[in-house]
Amino acid sequence: MGENRAPLVEFDDLAVSYGLVQALGGVKGAFLAGTTGLLGPNGAGKTTLLKTLLGFLTPDRGRMTAFGKDPTREPLEVRRRLGYMPEQDCHVPGMTAAAFVAFAGELSGLPRDEAISRAHEVLYYVGLGEARYRNVETYSTGMKQRVKLAQALVHDPELLLLDEPTNGLDPQGREEMLALIRDVATRRGMSLILCSHLLHDVERVCDQVIVLNQGQIAREGEMRELTGARRQVFDVRFKGDAAAVLTDLKDMGADWREGEDGVRLFLPEGQGPETVFRVAKQCGVQVRHLRPGAETLEDVFLRALGHEIQD
Amino acid sequence: MPIYDQGYRRYEARAPLRKARFWPITREALRLVLSKRAFLGLIAAAFLPFVVRVIQIYIVTRFPEAGRILPVDGRLFGDFLNQQIGFAILLSIFGASGLVANDLRTGAILAYLSRPLTRRDYVIGKLLVPLFLNLAVTLVPALLLYVSGLSLAPELYLKWELAWIAPAIVVHGFTISLVVSLLTLAISALSRSARVAGLGLFGLIAGLEMVRLVLQQGFRQKAAMLLSIQADLRALGVALFGLTDRQVVMGWGWAALVLAVLSLACLWVLRSRVRAVEIVT
Repeated sequence: MGENRAPLVEFDDLAVSYGLVQALGGVKGAFLAGTTGLLGPNGAGKTTLLKTLLGFLTPDRGRMTAFGKDPTREPLEVRRRLGYMPEQDCHVPGMTAAAFVAFAGELSGLPRDEAISRAHEVLYYVGLGEARYRNVETYSTGMKQRVKLAQALVHDPELLLLDEPTNGLDPQGREEMLALIRDVATRRGMSLILCSHLLHDVERVCDQVIVLNQGQIAREGEMRELTGARRQVFDVRFKGDAAAVLTDLKDMGADWREGEDGVRLFLPEGQGPETVFRVAKQCGVQVRHLRPGAETLEDVFLRALGHEIQD
Repeated sequence: MPIYDQGYRRYEARAPLRKARFWPITREALRLVLSKRAFLGLIAAAFLPFVVRVIQIYIVTRFPEAGRILPVDGRLFGDFLNQQIGFAILLSIFGASGLVANDLRTGAILAYLSRPLTRRDYVIGKLLVPLFLNLAVTLVPALLLYVSGLSLAPELYLKWELAWIAPAIVVHGFTISLVVSLLTLAISALSRSARVAGLGLFGLIAGLEMVRLVLQQGFRQKAAMLLSIQADLRALGVALFGLTDRQVVMGWGWAALVLAVLSLACLWVLRSRVRAVEIVT
């Protein structure tokens, strides 16, 4: 599926550093049309990648192209086709939401009348229609997040960069924001990059995932390929000396980690639940619960970072 | 029906980027500043000296003898502009000290820099705000005063030997406005609080003036004049309009050099602060 989608952004051997600290060390990859999740722990290079895309940083080596243009050489042409929703607060003090979003549209190159008209439409779209004449400083956290999304959408970008869009939102606000983002991608046909540490958010919204770790791409691919049942995954609860069972299973090539309710076991190809029962019986341990599961994005993420196996 | 079903229209008609990309920044900032009544009051107050000077010209046209104690030659405009330096500083403190500081505090700077704008566009857009405000209380009233003088007393001003007045007004008014604007913006870029930036600007200007006074009058240090931004600006006025000012004890060349270095330093601060924000945020 991924092969059929055109890459909007490509980077090859991209290396970026801040002084002596290398943030990206020669990465190669692409953001395809559609929805892409950009994952990684703090300092992995996610923000550096976005800032290079925005033309803020000049690579030490390698190249990046967005829409066929080099963001370092033609940053304005690239930025006008991007919409950026930053992680932190972003508003002009003293401005109403309507004025701020219209202003953002105008800064993106829209004629003033069009910017005003689209600002109202987009504010309705994100659910702030009734509150659009209020000063943004008086908004709640959830409303501020929506304004940030509106200012990123107002000029109808080809690619939307969302940096932690659900930060600080309550569960309901988070669900609404995710629904909105999903709607932007599916019904409005806009491509987006979702940069988040909340794996559930990425799993809900994205078709493609790129996991960065220490300035390198640790894992990338289609969400369903990465999280498909390629390995045998079981959620298991033992009664007795579980450590002994897990040690024996590990010797047989299995991995495991603490799950929400018991242990999550990853068995190698060709082995199934009978192996678990057999080993447990040999160790004199009772299997109280065994349920087949699929790898989640969290599993993929932890595996990519090399944190999966518990000792 | 979810609220986001209310529609979202795609936008295809992309025009080429305009050349004056900085203009919306200036326009919106001016709109916000000028929406405050207190600020409009301050601008109105800055026009009081203009009214006084017009009355002065009128009195001299009616009673020529009054010209001995109220001279209305070219010095009138130099005195007026030097007097307006204080208003330019006040307007900058109250109207422009938060221009960059507020953007740093609220993250608005990313809303600007992630758009098709260069850092230069951003700085120019912001710089034009205090520049327009300052020109409005220096160059504009000075030129209006000159026009008033020409209307009220053409016999006094319509002389070839006084043709230098208009260009001198433009040069001095623009220099005052530009230097004060650059300083305001640079100090604003050094803080995340408009209040701190305003106090910093006031403290810097007033503090340097006090140091000058102490060194110049207490220790007879002539070169101390160069420390004061106001004194340096006044020195230019003295040279341009042939004024006498006991506090201006150094040549205009030195004052111009100090102001040029100060302006370059302000540009450097702006350049490095805006760049730093892009990388660190």
